[in-house]
Amino acid sequence: MTDARLTRREVMWLGLALSTALVAQEATAAELQETPALKDDVASGKLPKIGMRVPEDPAVAELATIGTPGGELRMLMGGPKDTRMMVVYGYARLVGYTPSLALVADILKAIEVEHNSVFTLHLRKGHKWSDGEPFTSEDFRYWFEDVAQNKYLSPSGLPISMLPQGEGPRFEVLSETIVRYSWTRPNPLFLPDLAGPSPLFIYRPSHYLKQFHQKYAEKDVLDTLVKQANQRNWAALHNKLDTMYRNDNPDLPSLEPWILKTKPPSDRFVFERNPYYYRIDKQGNQLPYIDRVILSIADSKIIPAKTGAGESDLQARYLRFDNYTFLKASEERNHYKVWLWRTGPGSQLALYPNLNANDEVWRSLVRDLRFRRALSLAVDRHEINQVIYFGLAIEGQNTLLPQSPLFEPRFRKAWASFDPHEANRLLDLIGLAKASDGFRQLPDGRPLEIIVENSGESTEQSDVLELIRDSWRRIGIKLFAKPSQLTLFRRRVFSGETLMSIDKGIENGLATAAMPPWEFAPTTQQQLEWPKWGQYYETKGAAGEPPSLPSAIQLKDLYGEWLAAVSDEEHTRVWHDMLQIWAEEVFSIGTVAGVLQPIVVSAKLRNIPEEGIYNWDPGAYFGIYKPDGFWFDLSEASAKSASAASPPSHAMPR
Amino acid sequence: MLGYVVRRILIMIPTLIAISIVIFTIINLPPGDYFSTYIAELQSSGEAADLAKINFLKAQYGFDRPLWEQYIFWVGGLLHGDMGYSFAYNLPVNQVVGDRLLMTFIVSFATILFTYIVAFPIGVYSATHQYSWSDHLLTFLGFLGLATPSFLLALVLLYLANVYFGISIGGLMDPKYVDQPWSFSKVVSVGAHLWIPVVVIGTAGTASMIRRLRANLLDELQKQYVVTARAKGLRPLKLLFKYPLRMALNPFISDIGSLLPHVISGAAIVSVVMSLPTTGPMLLDALRSQDMYLAGSFLMFMAFLTVIGVFVSDLALAVLDPRIRLQAGRTQ
Repeated sequence: MTDARLTRREVMWLGLALSTALVAQEATAAELQETPALKDDVASGKLPKIGMRVPEDPAVAELATIGTPGGELRMLMGGPKDTRMMVVYGYARLVGYTPSLALVADILKAIEVEHNSVFTLHLRKGHKWSDGEPFTSEDFRYWFEDVAQNKYLSPSGLPISMLPQGEGPRFEVLSETIVRYSWTRPNPLFLPDLAGPSPLFIYRPSHYLKQFHQKYAEKDVLDTLVKQANQRNWAALHNKLDTMYRNDNPDLPSLEPWILKTKPPSDRFVFERNPYYYRIDKQGNQLPYIDRVILSIADSKIIPAKTGAGESDLQARYLRFDNYTFLKASEERNHYKVWLWRTGPGSQLALYPNLNANDEVWRSLVRDLRFRRALSLAVDRHEINQVIYFGLAIEGQNTLLPQSPLFEPRFRKAWASFDPHEANRLLDLIGLAKASDGFRQLPDGRPLEIIVENSGESTEQSDVLELIRDSWRRIGIKLFAKPSQLTLFRRRVFSGETLMSIDKGIENGLATAAMPPWEFAPTTQQQLEWPKWGQYYETKGAAGEPPSLPSAIQLKDLYGEWLAAVSDEEHTRVWHDMLQIWAEEVFSIGTVAGVLQPIVVSAKLRNIPEEGIYNWDPGAYFGIYKPDGFWFDLSEASAKSASAASPPSHAMPR
Repeated sequence: MLGYVVRRILIMIPTLIAISIVIFTIINLPPGDYFSTYIAELQSSGEAADLAKINFLKAQYGFDRPLWEQYIFWVGGLLHGDMGYSFAYNLPVNQVVGDRLLMTFIVSFATILFTYIVAFPIGVYSATHQYSWSDHLLTFLGFLGLATPSFLLALVLLYLANVYFGISIGGLMDPKYVDQPWSFSKVVSVGAHLWIPVVVIGTAGTASMIRRLRANLLDELQKQYVVTARAKGLRPLKLLFKYPLRMALNPFISDIGSLLPHVISGAAIVSVVMSLPTTGPMLLDALRSQDMYLAGSFLMFMAFLTVIGVFVSDLALAVLDPRIRLQAGRTQ
């Protein structure tokens, strides 16, 4: 009976029941504590008291340890554009992922979802922007009506993830704190996009931006502002200042834990705590614990050296696995710890035979399933793992990682064992005869030489290709590596000039059923194995070619099913079917995955897990571990115990 | 003389126009533009680009127009003193460059000073003491300085300075002073950091200057007027400074022309390695990401300085050395 009702009107309450219950208890249990760093401002009347700053029902953080507020976190970044990383790390989202990748309400008090098509968002009462102005449904309306649908500000209209089948939502303001988006069909892309590292921001600080909007500002005042800023028109000015993700406007109010205080350009960016932040700990301390974050800009190549000299308190960006020994060597001297986190891509590097290659003979060959399988069987993944990654990576195909709930070992193992004998047999079956020099020939008599192009960004790709070249020689195939330049590389793949390319594997190896399986179907031109089929989908048939391989068509149809599906079971079923086809068809040839990322953490920094996932989406790098809960332990005893801490669990061999 | 000056100034105009065309063409030669590079970069790291905003900027800056229109637009702006807009920084170019120019001047003038102070005495000494053991030793050191890749020297010095003196790696001051106003301790911090880039950038220049001064001076020392002066009993030091050294200086004056752009661009590679807040790394980044206005306007600025510099050094030479004829081609 209850089951029947659930399927009829499936209502998903993300976190509501949980958070209201918790807040009710905690708010009475713990008195709000004034933040030490803000006491002076509160005393002098510059800031209201803490009770007036946090929402009436603040989010209560679940933390491993309760911290003491204060301190300054130093990080290194490669360029001024990296100020956006503070939006990624800060990870204040309407809904966000937990470390176990569950989607929960975060800025929102709760969200109701009906049939994956009607979304009702409940804001926290009394939530304020970083300048103290209230954060209300007006901020959502402003974006939806005056920004996203204004033809000057957004010439291309609503973002893709709000247009299932090209159709926008109906937007309603139900009250000061409740808004609703309703589509006529399911839109499973909406929530994952809100929780992304570079999220879909469906709200704006309207009280600030309205002074730059034609509809609200007085013409004369706005014209002078435009002139002063040396912009061409009001829309250019509005867009320049409205940088919620890019995060380079210190005047733009924000909801993030730390707010930019330095006006670019600079080589040192200071972020200060948001006095109106919406999260508290269980003892009533307002988060974030850390008062200030300092980003120093340095060339990305010098960052490992600077990190090793102890100039960063929390660093992973621009560090690579091969910096590990160097960093480890000065761990003691500069009082930090080096941890190794797993990375999230489905394969560190994968080979992509171009199914849309221009060369006809080659094209029909790579579309032959036996050929792709043979190539995959002739890659010695164990050797690659041992030689380049110290044996610490996970060998196998380019598919989901074991941490994903959808993972099955057979997906990763399919056609991934090293078996040159079987590979030779398959190639013989296709009829690729060997010439006198022992190398095979194409059906038209040309030697079977594969040129693998890459973007030339790292030497790692060349190293891996070197090993693959040796093992492919055993099946009579010659491989040549051709490093190129990023833009050029992609252009050649898109146009079909490239026969095969090597690049990062699928981005999201940690997917859950609720995340879109777009990477396994021809959905965008960016997919190196079938750029033209992807482009066809992306442009709704205006450019590219329709997929012509039955299995690729099937994947595309399955993706359509996923988009239309409403229940979790349906999503899981589609995912499984797609992974199954992907594993059997070997559209890309994976090598190893889960390569470790060194994380340098100050010995005094607490609440950051020793083992974690360093991933872009889902993950937002440090974001899902909520850096607002990190804190500096400045007590003498802790400094001692930290330096004597046990070595990380992924000990190096030897 | 006046006619010469006017002619030289007039020639500068077509020169600059030609340079602007070359700069614009070269920046636009690689396929794509700033936005396609930017999108490719974002997509390769898995980030989705904000296409709405990119399309907006493209239309604003006429990227959909033919190239010659973009060129006119750019040059027209330059004539008004508008250097255009940097897409990477999201700021007008003037504001991006402004902060870094001061640091570049400091580093470069310190380097030039260092070069002169070290190279002059050594050059003179090794010329007057030709083939002595001290000349051989200094020559050896000079060649070593010429042959050592400066970025390698930079890395070694950085490491040693960090381990033994605790100086932060890279940059021109301790990170905590970066956004502070100038104060005594900030100057001290700059001083503590400045010597590494100065030594590194200056080494090669010092070495080559020693060699050139030595060679020039050796030529002069053999000449008859020197012998005559010596025979008349002029004191050796006075003789040296009064006659042959002055003759040997001409090449250094004609060097001023190339000195000015050198001062502005800094030693780009070293600055990148050492992460100095100078204009070199910025120019390199701008070229790589095809941030057209930033790179173009900056190169144009440097070309302008070179042209001016050459002009100034020609005038100085003409004034200092009466043997130089202004009408070389005409008198015949």
